Amino acid sequence: MGSTQSKDRKAIWTIGGGKGGSGKSFITANMGICLSKLGSRVILIDADLGGANLHTFLGVSPPALTLSDFIKKRVKNLHEVLIPTEVQNLLLLTGAQDLLNAMDSKNVQKRKLLRSIQHLEADYLLVDLGGGNSISVLDFFLMSDGGILVVTPEPTSIENTYRFLKSAFYRRLRQSVSSHAVRTLIDGAMDRKNEIAIQNPYELIKAVRQINEEEARKIEMEVETFQPNLILNQVRSRKDIEIGFSIRSACQKYFGIRLHYLGYVVYDQDVGYSVRRRRPLVLENAHSRAAQCVSEIASKLASRHQMSFQF
Amino acid sequence: MKGIDEQTYYEILEVSPTATSKEIQKAYEHAKETFHADSLAVYSLFTEQEIHEIQVAIEEAYRVLMDESSRKSYDQSHFQIFDKQHLETPPEMQVPTREKKPPPASVEVPVHVVGEVYRGKTLKQIRERMGIDLETVAQETRINMKTLEWIEGEDLEKLPPLVYLKGFLKGYAQSLGLDPLKVVEEYLLFLEEEKKKIAP
Repeated sequence: MGSTQSKDRKAIWTIGGGKGGSGKSFITANMGICLSKLGSRVILIDADLGGANLHTFLGVSPPALTLSDFIKKRVKNLHEVLIPTEVQNLLLLTGAQDLLNAMDSKNVQKRKLLRSIQHLEADYLLVDLGGGNSISVLDFFLMSDGGILVVTPEPTSIENTYRFLKSAFYRRLRQSVSSHAVRTLIDGAMDRKNEIAIQNPYELIKAVRQINEEEARKIEMEVETFQPNLILNQVRSRKDIEIGFSIRSACQKYFGIRLHYLGYVVYDQDVGYSVRRRRPLVLENAHSRAAQCVSEIASKLASRHQMSFQF
Repeated sequence: MKGIDEQTYYEILEVSPTATSKEIQKAYEHAKETFHADSLAVYSLFTEQEIHEIQVAIEEAYRVLMDESSRKSYDQSHFQIFDKQHLETPPEMQVPTREKKPPPASVEVPVHVVGEVYRGKTLKQIRERMGIDLETVAQETRINMKTLEWIEGEDLEKLPPLVYLKGFLKGYAQSLGLDPLKVVEEYLLFLEEEKKKIAP
């Protein structure tokens, strides 16, 4: 995540973390529409295992064709299972289970699927990962160009986000090293009650340095380049907005990572009304406060994308 | 990656070494709010002991950086370390770090500590530490000098009516780079408590 890419390559952003109900699907759908309206070709991918209903947020009926039809070779090309939406340049791909199964599978199938996704004609792929914390979800989050965490200013949501972030963080560190001893240390560090008394990432790096200086340097490099993004959803006050900055500071002190606070979306009853009508908020009520917040975040992401792929 | 005891005071408060007093004050307010024991952003990530260590480091960084002479000598000593390191160590090691000092059990200069509310006395201390005189605040906010003195002096009898006081406190807080809502809320709460004490 955060790797440099050539300009003609599409950007893959994954939206995950938090817990069910924090607004990941709402933000994915509406941000996708905003990006399309800015003139980009966007494909939304529903990979929410717990509740794949991105289509509902887009006002699309449950799709007849899914990723499964491509994997099981009922259709020849992946673009045949893309569902059109009422927005020009915005397509939907569903099939959460199949996508994440493929991430779990051995390299051949995984590479084939990822290659097909990479070949889709789009500027942005937005993947709604849902609230899951499985290995395949973490891997998808880590392999994307920008992982976006959607959090609400509530203890449970923040706790779950940290849990997700910790899992993703340690998995990333684990993937970067080759020494068995160091991997064992990382596995131990994930559990705070570990016997090796490593309480946090800083102590982990210190412990790794004692046994393998080279691996410690690799880990430090990973920490430096791991830069996830944060959107705070359903904020009701200025104090809520500030929680985003506090989460950023806490992540800096605890993980040593730079978390980008992309922005916040205010709590707005119009969101509920639009979901009930199965109409995307940014189309149904573009002037609502929440729609404007989403639109602002999408513009920010698009301008960053245009300036550089690096997050 | 650095542990809290290896970070410079500037890193602890997440400000640049060229930060103004206002920026440091603002950063301190944010850090204090973030690493409060009940803060939603930290309780599930850090242990109580870790939070305490960070709080101590924040107070220490604030105390030194808000005092002109302490900050100057801190900068000088760290620049010296930096220069020395520059000659002896590879570039990636050349970041000045904070000397490990005992926690400020007895601070010489009064600081705005965790849990202390914004009352007149506190506002005055913060202003003085920033090296801003009352006249400058009066000019910047267009609030009468006398009124500012009454606010700082917590003069219950002379303070203006609530509706005006709120506006004055807001302006005063903004001129010092403080959170206006918090200042108004805590100052009024303080006044209420004081009035209760006086009331028969």
